Amino acid sequence: MDDDMIFDPSLKKKKKKKTGFDMDAALASEQGESTSVEAPVESGDVDVPEDENLDLDNFGKKKKKKKKTFFNLEELESALPETTEEKPPAEEPEPQEEDLVDDLDLEIDFSKTKKKRRKKNLDELVAEEENNENQENAEDLHGDWVSTDRDYTYDELLERVFDIMREKNPGMVSGKKQKFIMRPPQVVRIGTKKTSFANFTEICKTLHRQPKHLLDFLLAELGTSGSVDGNSQLIIKGRFQQKQIENVLRRYIKEYVTCHTCRSPDTILQKDTRLFFLQCETCGSRCSVASIKSGFQAVTGKRAAIRAKIA
Amino acid sequence: MSIQNLNTFDPFADAIKSSEDDVQDGLVHVRIQQRNGRKTLTTVQGLSSEYDLKKIVRACKKEFACNGTVVEHPEYGEVLQLQGDQRENICQWLTKSGLVKPEQLKVHGF
Repeated sequence: MDDDMIFDPSLKKKKKKKTGFDMDAALASEQGESTSVEAPVESGDVDVPEDENLDLDNFGKKKKKKKKTFFNLEELESALPETTEEKPPAEEPEPQEEDLVDDLDLEIDFSKTKKKRRKKNLDELVAEEENNENQENAEDLHGDWVSTDRDYTYDELLERVFDIMREKNPGMVSGKKQKFIMRPPQVVRIGTKKTSFANFTEICKTLHRQPKHLLDFLLAELGTSGSVDGNSQLIIKGRFQQKQIENVLRRYIKEYVTCHTCRSPDTILQKDTRLFFLQCETCGSRCSVASIKSGFQAVTGKRAAIRAKIA
Repeated sequence: MSIQNLNTFDPFADAIKSSEDDVQDGLVHVRIQQRNGRKTLTTVQGLSSEYDLKKIVRACKKEFACNGTVVEHPEYGEVLQLQGDQRENICQWLTKSGLVKPEQLKVHGF
Protein backbone atom coordinates (compact mmCIF):
# COMPACT_ATOMS: atom_id res chain seq x y z
CA MET A 1 0.00 0.00 0.00
CA ASP A 2 2.90 2.32 0.71
CA ASP A 3 4.10 2.03 -2.83
CA ASP A 4 0.73 3.05 -4.06
CA MET A 5 0.91 6.47 -2.55
CA ILE A 6 3.93 7.32 -4.60
CA PHE A 7 2.30 6.61 -7.84
CA ASP A 8 -0.92 8.28 -7.02
CA PRO A 9 -0.65 11.39 -9.19
CA SER A 10 -0.54 9.53 -12.43
CA LEU A 11 -3.45 7.44 -11.40
CA LYS A 12 -5.51 10.39 -10.41
CA LYS A 13 -5.41 11.54 -13.94
CA LYS A 14 -6.58 8.25 -15.19
CA LYS A 15 -9.39 8.15 -12.79
CA LYS A 16 -10.62 11.48 -13.89
CA LYS A 17 -10.63 10.32 -17.43
CA LYS A 18 -12.49 7.33 -16.40
CA THR A 19 -15.32 9.19 -14.76
CA GLY A 20 -15.55 11.19 -17.90
CA PHE A 21 -16.29 8.05 -19.72
CA ASP A 22 -18.80 7.00 -17.23
CA MET A 23 -20.74 10.14 -17.78
CA ASP A 24 -20.85 9.46 -21.43
CA ALA A 25 -21.89 5.97 -20.80
CA ALA A 26 -24.65 7.19 -18.58
CA LEU A 27 -25.84 9.47 -21.30
CA ALA A 28 -26.10 6.51 -23.52
CA SER A 29 -28.37 4.98 -20.96
CA GLU A 30 -26.70 2.26 -19.04
CA GLN A 31 -25.83 3.30 -15.55
CA GLY A 32 -26.58 0.03 -13.87
CA GLU A 33 -23.87 -1.82 -15.65
CA SER A 34 -20.64 -0.12 -15.04
CA THR A 35 -20.98 0.37 -11.34
CA SER A 36 -20.53 -2.56 -9.07
CA VAL A 37 -17.51 -4.29 -10.40
CA GLU A 38 -15.56 -1.30 -11.37
CA ALA A 39 -15.71 0.43 -8.07
CA PRO A 40 -13.26 -1.85 -6.30
CA VAL A 41 -10.97 -1.76 -9.24
CA GLU A 42 -10.66 1.93 -9.03
CA SER A 43 -10.16 2.06 -5.32
CA GLY A 44 -6.98 0.09 -5.04
CA ASP A 45 -4.09 1.48 -6.97
CA VAL A 46 -0.95 -0.39 -7.57
CA ASP A 47 1.05 0.67 -10.54
CA VAL A 48 2.02 -1.72 -13.23
CA PRO A 49 2.47 -1.26 -16.91
CA GLU A 50 -0.66 -3.28 -17.42
CA ASP A 51 -2.61 -0.72 -15.51
CA GLU A 52 -2.89 1.25 -18.66
CA ASN A 53 -5.27 -1.30 -19.85
CA LEU A 54 -7.72 -0.39 -17.24
CA ASP A 55 -9.07 2.75 -18.73
CA LEU A 56 -9.78 0.88 -21.84
CA ASP A 57 -12.63 -0.89 -20.30
CA ASN A 58 -15.21 1.74 -20.59
CA PHE A 59 -13.91 2.38 -23.95
CA GLY A 60 -14.70 -1.13 -24.90
CA LYS A 61 -18.20 -0.62 -23.80
CA LYS A 62 -18.57 2.49 -25.81
CA LYS A 63 -17.26 0.76 -28.86
CA LYS A 64 -19.88 -1.83 -28.58
CA LYS A 65 -22.64 0.62 -28.43
CA LYS A 66 -21.40 2.40 -31.44
CA LYS A 67 -21.10 -0.85 -33.23
CA LYS A 68 -24.66 -1.66 -32.50
CA THR A 69 -26.01 1.42 -34.06
CA PHE A 70 -23.70 0.95 -36.94
CA PHE A 71 -24.96 -2.41 -37.82
CA ASN A 72 -28.48 -1.33 -37.64
CA LEU A 73 -27.76 1.58 -39.82
CA GLU A 74 -26.12 -0.54 -42.35
CA GLU A 75 -29.02 -2.84 -42.41
CA LEU A 76 -31.38 -0.01 -42.78
CA GLU A 77 -29.49 1.49 -45.59
CA SER A 78 -29.44 -1.69 -47.48
CA ALA A 79 -33.15 -1.92 -46.96
CA LEU A 80 -33.88 1.62 -47.96
CA PRO A 81 -31.70 2.70 -50.79
CA GLU A 82 -33.28 6.09 -50.96
CA THR A 83 -31.86 7.30 -47.69
CA THR A 84 -29.15 9.86 -48.04
CA GLU A 85 -26.76 9.72 -45.19
CA GLU A 86 -23.13 10.32 -44.98
CA LYS A 87 -21.17 8.03 -42.82
CA PRO A 88 -17.43 8.08 -42.34
CA PRO A 89 -16.38 5.07 -44.35
CA ALA A 90 -13.12 4.60 -42.57
CA GLU A 91 -14.86 3.49 -39.44
CA GLU A 92 -16.79 0.71 -40.97
CA PRO A 93 -14.66 -2.40 -41.03
CA GLU A 94 -13.35 -1.89 -37.58
CA PRO A 95 -16.35 -2.71 -35.44
CA GLN A 96 -16.81 -6.06 -37.03
CA GLU A 97 -13.38 -7.22 -36.19
CA GLU A 98 -13.90 -6.20 -32.72
CA ASP A 99 -17.10 -8.05 -32.51
CA LEU A 100 -15.20 -11.21 -33.13
CA VAL A 101 -12.64 -10.43 -30.55
CA ASP A 102 -15.18 -9.55 -27.97
CA ASP A 103 -17.09 -12.70 -28.48
CA LEU A 104 -14.00 -14.72 -28.05
CA ASP A 105 -12.78 -13.31 -24.83
CA LEU A 106 -14.70 -14.38 -21.87
CA GLU A 107 -15.99 -10.91 -21.22
CA ILE A 108 -13.35 -10.66 -18.59
CA ASP A 109 -10.96 -7.90 -19.26
CA PHE A 110 -7.54 -8.65 -18.06
CA SER A 111 -5.78 -6.77 -20.73
CA LYS A 112 -6.82 -5.12 -23.86
CA THR A 113 -4.22 -4.45 -26.44
CA LYS A 114 -2.33 -1.23 -26.42
CA LYS A 115 -3.36 -0.31 -29.90
CA LYS A 116 -6.89 0.30 -28.81
CA ARG A 117 -5.72 2.69 -26.21
CA ARG A 118 -4.02 4.84 -28.75
CA LYS A 119 -7.16 5.21 -30.72
CA LYS A 120 -9.16 6.01 -27.70
CA ASN A 121 -9.39 9.73 -27.39
CA LEU A 122 -10.15 10.46 -30.96
CA ASP A 123 -12.55 7.67 -31.37
CA GLU A 124 -14.38 8.40 -28.24
CA LEU A 125 -15.37 11.84 -29.37
CA VAL A 126 -16.33 10.64 -32.78
CA ALA A 127 -18.28 7.80 -31.34
CA GLU A 128 -20.20 10.06 -29.06
CA GLU A 129 -21.26 12.34 -31.84
CA GLU A 130 -22.11 9.55 -34.12
CA ASN A 131 -24.11 7.87 -31.49
CA ASN A 132 -26.42 10.79 -31.27
CA GLU A 133 -26.58 11.24 -34.98
CA ASN A 134 -27.35 7.68 -35.60
CA GLN A 135 -30.09 7.57 -33.11
CA GLU A 136 -31.80 10.50 -34.67
CA ASN A 137 -31.38 9.05 -38.08
CA ALA A 138 -32.78 5.77 -36.99
CA GLU A 139 -35.92 7.42 -35.78
CA ASP A 140 -36.28 9.27 -39.02
CA LEU A 141 -36.03 6.10 -40.92
CA HIS A 142 -38.76 4.49 -38.95
CA GLY A 143 -40.99 7.35 -39.71
CA ASP A 144 -40.36 6.65 -43.35
CA TRP A 145 -42.37 3.55 -43.64
CA VAL A 146 -44.78 4.19 -40.85
CA SER A 147 -46.32 7.07 -42.71
CA THR A 148 -46.35 5.44 -46.13
CA ASP A 149 -48.34 2.33 -47.03
CA ARG A 150 -45.35 0.60 -48.60
CA ASP A 151 -44.40 -2.84 -47.32
CA TYR A 152 -41.91 -2.88 -44.49
CA THR A 153 -38.98 -5.26 -44.58
CA TYR A 154 -37.90 -7.74 -42.00
CA ASP A 155 -34.85 -5.69 -41.10
CA GLU A 156 -36.95 -2.67 -40.39
CA LEU A 157 -39.28 -4.58 -38.15
CA LEU A 158 -36.38 -6.16 -36.35
CA GLU A 159 -34.82 -2.81 -35.83
CA ARG A 160 -38.07 -1.42 -34.53
CA VAL A 161 -38.53 -4.24 -32.06
CA PHE A 162 -35.01 -3.88 -30.77
CA ASP A 163 -35.39 -0.15 -30.45
CA ILE A 164 -38.47 -0.58 -28.35
CA MET A 165 -36.79 -3.18 -26.21
CA ARG A 166 -33.78 -0.98 -25.70
CA GLU A 167 -35.95 1.91 -24.81
CA LYS A 168 -37.96 -0.03 -22.25
CA ASN A 169 -35.05 -1.59 -20.40
CA PRO A 170 -31.83 0.12 -21.18
CA GLY A 171 -28.68 -1.89 -21.01
CA MET A 172 -30.30 -5.24 -20.64
CA VAL A 173 -31.24 -6.09 -24.19
CA SER A 174 -29.22 -5.45 -27.31
CA GLY A 175 -27.10 -8.55 -26.78
CA LYS A 176 -24.42 -6.35 -25.39
CA LYS A 177 -22.39 -8.40 -23.00
CA GLN A 178 -21.58 -6.99 -19.69
CA LYS A 179 -17.91 -6.55 -19.22
CA PHE A 180 -16.33 -7.83 -16.14
CA ILE A 181 -13.39 -5.65 -15.43
CA MET A 182 -10.54 -6.49 -13.19
CA ARG A 183 -6.92 -5.71 -13.06
CA PRO A 184 -4.51 -8.32 -14.31
CA PRO A 185 -2.74 -10.57 -11.86
CA GLN A 186 0.81 -9.58 -11.10
CA VAL A 187 2.91 -12.64 -11.39
CA VAL A 188 6.60 -12.50 -10.57
CA ARG A 189 9.10 -15.28 -10.36
CA ILE A 190 10.91 -15.67 -7.09
CA GLY A 191 14.17 -17.44 -7.72
CA THR A 192 13.82 -20.35 -10.05
CA LYS A 193 11.27 -22.50 -8.34
CA LYS A 194 8.63 -20.26 -6.92
CA THR A 195 6.18 -17.77 -8.31
CA SER A 196 4.62 -14.86 -6.52
CA PHE A 197 1.10 -13.67 -7.21
CA ALA A 198 1.41 -10.18 -5.79
CA ASN A 199 -2.11 -8.78 -5.94
CA PHE A 200 -3.82 -11.96 -4.85
CA THR A 201 -5.83 -10.50 -1.99
CA GLU A 202 -6.76 -7.53 -4.09
CA ILE A 203 -8.19 -9.78 -6.75
CA CYS A 204 -10.07 -11.72 -4.12
CA LYS A 205 -11.62 -8.46 -3.00
CA THR A 206 -12.56 -7.55 -6.53
CA LEU A 207 -14.25 -10.88 -6.99
CA HIS A 208 -15.85 -10.79 -3.55
CA ARG A 209 -14.56 -14.21 -2.71
CA GLN A 210 -12.78 -15.63 0.27
CA PRO A 211 -9.04 -15.74 -0.35
CA LYS A 212 -9.05 -19.29 0.89
CA HIS A 213 -11.52 -20.38 -1.74
CA LEU A 214 -9.55 -18.86 -4.57
CA LEU A 215 -6.37 -20.24 -3.08
CA ASP A 216 -7.80 -23.73 -2.97
CA PHE A 217 -8.91 -23.47 -6.53
CA LEU A 218 -5.62 -22.14 -7.82
CA LEU A 219 -3.58 -24.76 -6.07
CA ALA A 220 -5.87 -27.57 -7.13
CA GLU A 221 -5.87 -26.43 -10.73
CA LEU A 222 -2.16 -25.87 -10.94
CA GLY A 223 -1.42 -29.05 -9.07
CA THR A 224 1.07 -27.46 -6.74
CA SER A 225 1.34 -26.16 -3.24
CA GLY A 226 1.57 -22.63 -2.02
CA SER A 227 0.60 -20.19 0.67
CA VAL A 228 -0.18 -16.57 1.37
CA ASP A 229 2.77 -14.79 2.92
CA GLY A 230 3.01 -11.76 5.20
CA ASN A 231 2.66 -9.18 2.43
CA SER A 232 -0.65 -10.78 1.44
CA GLN A 233 0.88 -12.12 -1.71
CA LEU A 234 0.52 -15.69 -2.81
CA ILE A 235 3.61 -17.79 -3.22
CA ILE A 236 3.13 -20.75 -5.51
CA LYS A 237 5.61 -23.51 -5.99
CA GLY A 238 6.59 -23.93 -9.59
CA ARG A 239 7.10 -21.60 -12.54
CA PHE A 240 4.07 -19.84 -13.82
CA GLN A 241 3.57 -16.95 -16.15
CA GLN A 242 1.02 -14.25 -15.88
CA LYS A 243 -0.86 -15.61 -18.84
CA GLN A 244 -1.21 -19.01 -17.29
CA ILE A 245 -2.50 -17.58 -14.05
CA GLU A 246 -4.91 -15.46 -16.03
CA ASN A 247 -6.28 -18.54 -17.69
CA VAL A 248 -6.89 -20.22 -14.40
CA LEU A 249 -8.48 -17.09 -13.00
CA ARG A 250 -10.76 -16.93 -16.00
CA ARG A 251 -11.90 -20.41 -15.31
CA TYR A 252 -12.47 -19.57 -11.68
CA ILE A 253 -14.55 -16.57 -12.58
CA LYS A 254 -16.57 -18.54 -15.05
CA GLU A 255 -17.36 -21.24 -12.54
CA TYR A 256 -17.52 -19.45 -9.21
CA VAL A 257 -18.14 -15.77 -9.86
CA THR A 258 -20.40 -15.16 -12.80
CA CYS A 259 -23.98 -16.30 -12.49
CA HIS A 260 -24.60 -19.36 -14.61
CA THR A 261 -27.95 -18.05 -15.72
CA CYS A 262 -27.49 -14.36 -16.44
CA ARG A 263 -23.70 -14.19 -16.26
CA SER A 264 -23.76 -11.23 -13.99
CA PRO A 265 -20.77 -11.08 -11.65
CA ASP A 266 -22.93 -9.77 -8.84
CA THR A 267 -23.13 -13.03 -6.93
CA ILE A 268 -22.63 -14.44 -3.48
CA LEU A 269 -20.98 -17.75 -2.80
CA GLN A 270 -22.33 -19.47 0.26
CA LYS A 271 -21.77 -22.82 1.80
CA ASP A 272 -24.79 -24.93 2.55
CA THR A 273 -24.56 -28.46 3.89
CA ARG A 274 -21.10 -29.06 2.53
CA LEU A 275 -21.98 -27.73 -0.90
CA PHE A 276 -21.20 -24.35 -2.34
CA PHE A 277 -24.09 -22.42 -3.81
CA LEU A 278 -23.87 -19.44 -6.06
CA GLN A 279 -26.62 -16.94 -5.38
CA CYS A 280 -27.12 -14.29 -8.01
CA GLU A 281 -28.01 -10.81 -6.82
CA THR A 282 -29.23 -9.67 -10.19
CA CYS A 283 -31.53 -12.42 -11.37
CA GLY A 284 -32.00 -14.24 -8.07
CA SER A 285 -31.03 -17.63 -9.37
CA ARG A 286 -29.28 -20.04 -7.10
CA CYS A 287 -27.28 -23.01 -8.22
CA SER A 288 -24.70 -25.31 -6.81
CA VAL A 289 -21.16 -25.14 -8.09
CA ALA A 290 -18.59 -27.87 -8.38
CA SER A 291 -16.54 -28.51 -5.31
CA ILE A 292 -12.83 -27.98 -5.57
CA LYS A 293 -10.96 -31.23 -5.79
CA SER A 294 -7.33 -31.55 -6.49
CA GLY A 295 -7.77 -35.15 -7.59
CA PHE A 296 -4.94 -37.47 -8.25
CA GLN A 297 -1.51 -36.07 -7.54
CA ALA A 298 1.45 -37.89 -8.96
CA VAL A 299 4.65 -38.16 -7.03
CA THR A 300 6.99 -35.53 -8.38
CA GLY A 301 9.40 -35.05 -5.52
CA LYS A 302 12.09 -37.28 -4.27
CA ARG A 303 10.66 -40.58 -3.16
CA ALA A 304 13.36 -40.98 -0.58
CA ALA A 305 12.24 -37.78 1.08
CA ILE A 306 8.65 -38.97 1.22
CA ARG A 307 9.70 -42.27 2.69
CA ALA A 308 11.77 -40.48 5.28
CA LYS A 309 8.79 -38.33 6.23
CA ILE A 310 6.51 -41.30 6.77
CA ALA A 311 9.04 -43.28 8.74
CA MET B 1 -42.37 -65.94 -17.85
CA SER B 2 -41.24 -64.76 -14.49
CA ILE B 3 -43.29 -62.59 -12.24
CA GLN B 4 -41.83 -59.13 -12.15
CA ASN B 5 -42.81 -58.33 -8.60
CA LEU B 6 -41.06 -61.30 -7.11
CA ASN B 7 -37.68 -60.48 -8.59
CA THR B 8 -35.12 -59.55 -6.03
CA PHE B 9 -33.87 -56.05 -6.34
CA ASP B 10 -30.60 -54.97 -4.87
CA PRO B 11 -30.95 -51.34 -3.84
CA PHE B 12 -27.21 -50.98 -3.49
CA ALA B 13 -26.36 -52.23 -6.93
CA ASP B 14 -25.91 -48.75 -8.28
CA ALA B 15 -23.79 -47.64 -5.38
CA ILE B 16 -21.50 -50.62 -5.62
CA LYS B 17 -21.11 -50.24 -9.32
CA SER B 18 -20.23 -46.58 -9.16
CA SER B 19 -17.76 -47.09 -6.35
CA GLU B 20 -16.05 -49.72 -8.41
CA ASP B 21 -15.90 -47.53 -11.41
CA ASP B 22 -14.55 -44.60 -9.49
CA VAL B 23 -15.68 -42.37 -12.24
CA GLN B 24 -17.31 -39.52 -10.41
CA ASP B 25 -19.93 -37.92 -12.61
CA GLY B 26 -18.29 -39.60 -15.55
CA LEU B 27 -15.68 -36.93 -16.05
CA VAL B 28 -12.20 -37.67 -17.21
CA HIS B 29 -9.77 -35.25 -15.62
CA VAL B 30 -6.63 -34.38 -17.49
CA ARG B 31 -4.15 -32.62 -15.27
CA ILE B 32 -0.66 -31.31 -15.53
CA GLN B 33 1.96 -31.18 -12.85
CA GLN B 34 5.26 -29.42 -12.88
CA ARG B 35 8.38 -31.34 -12.08
CA ASN B 36 11.88 -30.06 -11.75
CA GLY B 37 12.95 -27.51 -14.31
CA ARG B 38 10.63 -27.22 -17.27
CA LYS B 39 9.58 -30.82 -17.09
CA THR B 40 5.98 -31.72 -16.67
CA LEU B 41 3.76 -34.70 -16.10
CA THR B 42 0.29 -35.31 -17.45
CA THR B 43 -2.18 -37.40 -15.52
CA VAL B 44 -5.46 -38.78 -16.80
CA GLN B 45 -7.87 -39.71 -14.08
CA GLY B 46 -11.32 -41.20 -14.36
CA LEU B 47 -11.05 -43.47 -17.37
CA SER B 48 -13.53 -46.29 -17.07
CA SER B 49 -12.06 -49.44 -15.56
CA GLU B 50 -13.67 -51.41 -18.35
CA TYR B 51 -10.82 -50.36 -20.56
CA ASP B 52 -7.43 -51.93 -20.39
CA LEU B 53 -5.34 -48.98 -19.32
CA LYS B 54 -2.13 -50.80 -19.97
CA LYS B 55 -3.01 -51.10 -23.60
CA ILE B 56 -4.07 -47.49 -23.74
CA VAL B 57 -0.82 -46.34 -22.25
CA ARG B 58 1.13 -48.49 -24.65
CA ALA B 59 -0.62 -46.91 -27.59
CA CYS B 60 -0.17 -43.42 -26.16
CA LYS B 61 3.50 -43.90 -25.57
CA LYS B 62 3.98 -44.81 -29.14
CA GLU B 63 1.74 -42.08 -30.48
CA PHE B 64 3.14 -39.19 -28.45
CA ALA B 65 6.67 -40.50 -28.24
CA CYS B 66 6.81 -40.18 -24.50
CA ASN B 67 7.04 -42.52 -21.61
CA GLY B 68 4.07 -43.34 -19.49
CA THR B 69 2.69 -45.62 -16.85
CA VAL B 70 -0.45 -46.72 -15.09
CA VAL B 71 -0.64 -45.95 -11.40
CA GLU B 72 -3.05 -47.61 -9.04
CA HIS B 73 -4.68 -45.27 -6.56
CA PRO B 74 -6.94 -46.42 -3.75
CA GLU B 75 -9.46 -43.62 -4.28
CA TYR B 76 -9.21 -42.74 -7.92
CA GLY B 77 -8.58 -46.17 -9.36
CA GLU B 78 -6.16 -46.56 -12.19
CA VAL B 79 -4.58 -43.34 -13.33
CA LEU B 80 -2.61 -42.80 -16.49
CA GLN B 81 0.66 -40.90 -16.26
CA LEU B 82 2.48 -39.53 -19.24
CA GLN B 83 5.69 -37.59 -19.38
CA GLY B 84 5.56 -34.06 -20.65
CA ASP B 85 2.63 -31.82 -21.44
CA GLN B 86 0.43 -34.22 -23.36
CA ARG B 87 -2.88 -32.59 -22.52
CA GLU B 88 -3.74 -31.62 -26.06
CA ASN B 89 -2.52 -34.90 -27.44
CA ILE B 90 -4.33 -37.08 -24.99
CA CYS B 91 -7.60 -35.17 -25.40
CA GLN B 92 -7.49 -35.54 -29.13
CA TRP B 93 -6.49 -39.15 -28.96
CA LEU B 94 -9.17 -40.11 -26.46
CA THR B 95 -11.91 -38.46 -28.45
CA LYS B 96 -10.66 -39.77 -31.75
CA SER B 97 -10.47 -43.32 -30.51
CA GLY B 98 -13.96 -42.94 -29.09
CA LEU B 99 -13.02 -43.83 -25.54
CA VAL B 100 -14.28 -40.56 -24.14
CA LYS B 101 -16.78 -38.03 -25.36
CA PRO B 102 -15.47 -34.49 -25.68
CA GLU B 103 -17.92 -33.20 -23.09
CA GLN B 104 -16.66 -35.72 -20.57
CA LEU B 105 -13.13 -34.39 -20.75
CA LYS B 106 -12.06 -31.84 -18.22
CA VAL B 107 -8.67 -30.30 -18.67
CA HIS B 108 -7.04 -28.69 -15.67
CA GLY B 109 -3.95 -26.62 -15.25
CA PHE B 110 -2.76 -23.42 -16.80
